Amino acid sequence: RRGCGFGAWPRVAMEASELWVGFVGAGRMAGGLVRGLLQAEKVPASNVLASAPSDKNLDAWRELGCRTTHCNLEVVYRSTLVFLATKPHILPGVLEEIRPAVGSQHIVVSLVAGVTIQTLQRLLPPGTKVLRIMPNLPCVVQAGAMVFSRGSNAGDEEAALLKSLLSSCGLCEEVPESYIDIHTGLSGSGVAYVYLFAEALAEGAVKMGMPGALAGRIAAQTLLGAAKMLLETGEHPAKLRGDVCTPGGTTIYALHQLEKGALRATVMNAVEAATNRACEMAKD
Amino acid sequence: AGVLAAHKITASSPDTDLPTVSGLRKMGVNFTLSNKDTVKSSDVLFLAVKPPIIPFILEEVGPDIEPRHIVVSCAAGVTISSIEKKLSTFCPTPKVIRCMTNTPVIVREGATVYATGTHADVEDGKLLEQLMASVGFCTEVEEDLIDAVTGLSGSGPAYAFTALDALADGGVKMGLPRRLAVRLGAQALLGAAKMLLESEQHPGQLKDNVCSPGGATIHALHFLESGGFRSLLINAVEASCIRTRELQHLADQEKISPAAIKKTLLDKVKMESPSLSVASASKVSLFTSKSKKN
Repeated sequence: RRGCGFGAWPRVAMEASELWVGFVGAGRMAGGLVRGLLQAEKVPASNVLASAPSDKNLDAWRELGCRTTHCNLEVVYRSTLVFLATKPHILPGVLEEIRPAVGSQHIVVSLVAGVTIQTLQRLLPPGTKVLRIMPNLPCVVQAGAMVFSRGSNAGDEEAALLKSLLSSCGLCEEVPESYIDIHTGLSGSGVAYVYLFAEALAEGAVKMGMPGALAGRIAAQTLLGAAKMLLETGEHPAKLRGDVCTPGGTTIYALHQLEKGALRATVMNAVEAATNRACEMAKD
Repeated sequence: AGVLAAHKITASSPDTDLPTVSGLRKMGVNFTLSNKDTVKSSDVLFLAVKPPIIPFILEEVGPDIEPRHIVVSCAAGVTISSIEKKLSTFCPTPKVIRCMTNTPVIVREGATVYATGTHADVEDGKLLEQLMASVGFCTEVEEDLIDAVTGLSGSGPAYAFTALDALADGGVKMGLPRRLAVRLGAQALLGAAKMLLESEQHPGQLKDNVCSPGGATIHALHFLESGGFRSLLINAVEASCIRTRELQHLADQEKISPAAIKKTLLDKVKMESPSLSVASASKVSLFTSKSKKN
């Protein structure tokens, strides 16, 4: 890794269009974020540099017009905004590697699950602007839900920049770091709960005689539509639920079944379990 | 509630030993042993007997029913058409209103619905509504909803009493004296109900407003959800409604023959709750009576 050829790059301005964005790690999550950024034209592809050990992931990035490398240090030298998107167990080694190149002009944003701001700040030079973000999978289709927290040296400008950039991938909110594990339980893992629910919906339809493929598409559209209404009307879900329930009609009969199955409590249990597990894992 | 002067009310019962009888007498209500007398001195006639007795009462008082009478039945499961049918042998166009109320009328917080029969005019319904609104909430509904109302607000106070008993137990378990626990539990439910009635917000929203993140309330609610609290309540309302329909069905088929009812019952007509007294008032006095409840 050492000794890859690169020149000294000048300091860069903070305007997004002038921003040089780097990704250390080029997996699915990073890919989702960059797609969002490019689609929303937040950053030109030529300003994006991604590194990964193999070409496997990097091909897709080149297709988007991004630059790629196998050298993590190069990413740090050529970028102002550096996203850390490695697997958790790899990160400490990577941080040690890039540490010498990290300076006061950098904004380091970690996507790495379970690695706290405290750990990041400990492994990077003192005074480094660090932020931690927890995205979720639908960032890849620009319908993600992301929360981020700032470290001691990240200020309003950095937070505003991150928020403005990442809103291109979905909902992006700043939160206290303690919410990040909750976000994992709610929305990081939450996506899987929705897939489970969609599968079950479709299965019910199949039982009643509808072909599986059609049922699957309708189930997905139902979830999408309901979520859209929730987000756009801003109404309380209980109210929207009531609106669908004509007296003595089909919906209330079905809801009664869901209540009998204590679905609400089960979902609460799921969010709790995932959140607790995230906390546990962060301690490891 | 100050809607009706006591001397304008007449009540009848064959059994004068009932505590309700002396209670009514103390209030200044006219008391008689004769149902016929009650009918004669009334304009609005509340039938407050148990459902199986209704046919016999109607037979007894039928001949005395005049066009001015508004017959209001509070008997669960007894349909308007069954009453009209029985009375039509005596009176061609009997005015019948069916109503379903609940016990908190005693404290003027009742929930009452009524459905008007074929020959009851709009003003007749409005008159009943005025009377019943003085003891709580009152509104008109289609007759086919009355069973659902029974399941919800008819039986509802019982669900609430059960909940309050259990809430008090919870309080006692955690160290509160019983009396205080009961008082606080009841006030909590009263306050919550009042908030809901006075608010535009959905109960779900009001619930959220109480649940601070990671706080005590949300922990408690999780327990309720785990126990299927909501579905239990849905089940209860459903069961009560279905049972009401069953009873109505049985009554329609007149499965309860005279032989099945005790001779003593046939002779004596039992009074229901003291609040549902057999009322009489001339229409004029009613509208010049004192102001209604708040």
